This record gives sequence, C-alpha cells and structure tokens, in this order.
Amino acid sequence: MKNRLKLLRVERGWTQEQLGQALGVSRQAVNAIETEKHDPSLDLAYRVAVLFARPVEDIFENPHG
Amino acid sequence: MLAMGKSTTPAHRKYVIRTLSFMAGYVAVNVAAIFGAFDEIHGKPAAWVLALVVSAPVAGQMWATLSLMNESDEFVRSLTAKQFIVAAGIAMALFSTWGFAESYADAPHAPGWLIYPLFWGVYGFVAPFIKSSK
Repeated sequence: MKNRLKLLRVERGWTQEQLGQALGVSRQAVNAIETEKHDPSLDLAYRVAVLFARPVEDIFENPHG
Repeated sequence: MLAMGKSTTPAHRKYVIRTLSFMAGYVAVNVAAIFGAFDEIHGKPAAWVLALVVSAPVAGQMWATLSLMNESDEFVRSLTAKQFIVAAGIAMALFSTWGFAESYADAPHAPGWLIYPLFWGVYGFVAPFIKSSK
C-alpha cells in the first residue's frame, strides 16, 4: 500500500527505531510499511494517524478509490 | 531467524534462548544415543519413552515459534507464519516424494525423524527470500 510514512518520519527527524517505539512495533515493521512490503492493519494505521495527527487517508493511499 | 543483532526485539531474544535450550536437549539425547547410552533399552518398551523424550524438544520448538508470533508485532507475526508455511510445505513435499520413491522406486529408506532437520534446513534456505507479508 502506497504511503507517506517515510516522508512524515524524516520530516520529524525520527529513525525507524524511534517511530517503531512510538507505535509499539519493531523497526522491521516500520521498514516493511515504508517499503510497501506490509499492509498495516486498521488498528496500526489508526495508531500512525493519531501519532502524526492526520487522517489515515493523508498517510495511506486508499487503493479502492 | 536466530540472529540476535542490536535491533532485535525482546520477543526475538526470548525465541533465541528458547530455541537454543530445546536444541541443546535434542542434540544431547541424540548424541548420547549415538554413543550407546541407551543401547540396553533398544527394542524394549522403555525405548518408546526414549522416543518421546527425544521428540519433546520438537514440540517445544513449535511452542517457541508460536510464542514468538504471539509476542511480536503484526509484521513479524505474518512474516514468520508465511516463512513457516512455505518451509513446511516444501519439506512435506520433498519427504513425501522420497516416501513414494521408497515405495515405487526402491529408494533407500529414510527415517521419519529426518523431516525435522529437513524442515529447518528448508526454512533456513527460504526465509531470506520471503521478506514481504503479502
């Protein structure tokens, strides 16, 4: 799933490890989402949205419309 | 999967410790058997107990893997499941092929316990190529 996670993370000067800690997931999970090797669950997508204070669809491209 | 670098999670560290513990038991009983420690019970009912004891770490290893999945995040969980399923499928296919080759082509007999090291050998081979949960 295309997303702006890396852009948002880099804007804040965070490492993948730091973002993972903030989200409660591993660095590998952050890397997998950024490189589109993993589609996050709805729960994780909402956690990302809350962390960056943006709607989910501002971060993750809706593949269905 | 056994690598323990600085970015590994507590779940991975626990998995490595549990795996090494179970493998130590598995290897210790097998080495003792190879050096004749259990020769006197060969063919006796006690040998069934020995078979269960030496196989117990296999079940333990499955528990360690399930615990890793349970204690990890969603990406690690789905990636581990995918790697496990692919490795188990290939190992079963290979071992089934050999079994039928024994039945139909007079291939030499392979003992059933070989499925376990075969599975982990296949796992080690395929895991680096499975990097996506999709």
